[in-house]
Amino acid sequence: MNNPTSACPDIGVWRAWLDHEHETLQLEQHLAECPDCRRVVDELREDAALVRGAFAMISPAQTTVPSGADIAVARERLDWERRHSLATPSVVRSREPIPMFLTRISIPWRIAASGLAAALVLSVLVSVTPEGRARAAGFLAQFRSQQVTAVELTPQTQAEIMRTVTALGNLGTINTPSGLTARPAAAARGGAEQTPPPTLAEANQAVGFTLATPDPATLPAGLDKTPRVQVMPASQERFTFDKAKASAYFKSTGHPEVTLPDAFDGATLVVSMPSAALLQYSSSSSGAKEALVLGEAGELVVDVEGKVSLEEMRDFLLGLPGFPPTVVSQLRQITRWNETLPIPIPVQVNWQTETFRGNQGLLLNDNSGVGSAAIWHESGRMYGLAGSLKATQLQRIADGLAVR
Amino acid sequence: VNGQDDLADQSVLNLADAAVSPETGRQRSALVGSTFDALFQRFYSELFGLVYRVLGDRMETEDTLQEAFLRLSDDAGIQARPEAEVGAWLRRVAINLAFNRLRSAKRARARLDRVGRLERSDEEPSDNEMLGPSGLVIRQEERAAVRLALAEVPERQRDCLLLRHSGYSYAEIAMTLGMAIGSVGVLLARAEHAFRTAYRRQTQA
Repeated sequence: MNNPTSACPDIGVWRAWLDHEHETLQLEQHLAECPDCRRVVDELREDAALVRGAFAMISPAQTTVPSGADIAVARERLDWERRHSLATPSVVRSREPIPMFLTRISIPWRIAASGLAAALVLSVLVSVTPEGRARAAGFLAQFRSQQVTAVELTPQTQAEIMRTVTALGNLGTINTPSGLTARPAAAARGGAEQTPPPTLAEANQAVGFTLATPDPATLPAGLDKTPRVQVMPASQERFTFDKAKASAYFKSTGHPEVTLPDAFDGATLVVSMPSAALLQYSSSSSGAKEALVLGEAGELVVDVEGKVSLEEMRDFLLGLPGFPPTVVSQLRQITRWNETLPIPIPVQVNWQTETFRGNQGLLLNDNSGVGSAAIWHESGRMYGLAGSLKATQLQRIADGLAVR
Repeated sequence: VNGQDDLADQSVLNLADAAVSPETGRQRSALVGSTFDALFQRFYSELFGLVYRVLGDRMETEDTLQEAFLRLSDDAGIQARPEAEVGAWLRRVAINLAFNRLRSAKRARARLDRVGRLERSDEEPSDNEMLGPSGLVIRQEERAAVRLALAEVPERQRDCLLLRHSGYSYAEIAMTLGMAIGSVGVLLARAEHAFRTAYRRQTQA
């Protein structure tokens, strides 16, 4: 038996040696001379091999590793979540006691909302007529929101929609015509810290119609009777399909078989978002949780320019890789698609159709009963009401709305 | 950031805004600077691999990474550090979040069930893994056994094991776990031995 010429290294040294993280000539010499260490090394090698084999089973498959597009989607999503997380401390805890319900609903809501563009496209595209007939069939050539309907989304379909919508961006170019977003009193958005919030009268002027307000008697006790007003200016987004860009994209994502039909090249989807006002009624006493938000907006209008036929656009979009079938089928079931705005609702939120002031709308409740929200159309306006209130209270406030 | 703006973003009626395009979303979200973007690009994929090994579910992995990067975005101090340190910090956060998620007892069972379903549809068997449906079920159970065994290994050893077998160097491991490079070997050796014992128990159970 050989006696090793040096003291035996500890197992850590041997383990590092196996990984080529600790290589010296002395170690190899020692190993050659020391049967004890050879036993240690053999055992370490066996353990390592077993772990390596086990880990090979749980490593992500090639198809699971995130693509560049996946990373871009994740980056987008982070921004949404980040905005939410920034808003939470400043809004909920200090200045504005906005109900938990609103903030809780807002993440899925916002995520879902991002998918609304796609949902819109789907329900709207059906209204497209070829350019020549557009004028004759004017009422069919555009989408004009007149009523709302619910489209249920699971977190998974939300993610799928986000992916699809992000992918849509690769099929053309999006631009926001400048000049259309600027409105004088709408400065509230940018310069809130410097300029005082607009008064109701200013808001009326900015949105272009007279805002309805709740009957003060219907407001929950403790809420200020004077709202804080915000105005969001009207804006327009144009999305123009680009065949070359789309082909390059489909090729890069391994779907060379998908192409943008010729008629789409240059076709433009024009989404005109109405100006809107937001009236917030909150409690002046600190610690009170009640709050109410009333939003009013004009109609959302979507036009299509170009020579795309209805069926082509519909088939194409429904066939986009990744668009969740459950959402597609819900959208297909909307009969009056050219005037029905799909409202994405996360599955964890309860909803039911409800009549508000004689108009069919949606009533949303989260499961905890912390709050509720209502949304409906009335005389060419869109109304949303949400608060840390029971549905019956909300209904009463809705009924009391009037131009004062 | 303008608080009012955020408030508006939360409004239920902000439907107009709801029709935002992805590109517009990008314009509106210039909340964090280019450093952060670079870090996101640089580390997303590798962290995905790390967390996916723990959770075995794409969606859960994405959620976990969102949380990790959300924390990074809130911490300008960390972002300003050298990239290697940011990477170490992110790995630490991501691993902790991943195991917390796994540990959450009630969800664990449902999750493992779901992992079973998801992976079967999610992952195409590789060439040497064309086992047919029953084969895939077996692989599924094997994967679950690996993850359960990993969760049994003491925390530091477990993290070391995960990092090493996800391909990190001893230097990176040392930096992530806040220890001397010279101590990585012994921690890893113990970790592998502990894993082997736990894994044997899992597969024999």
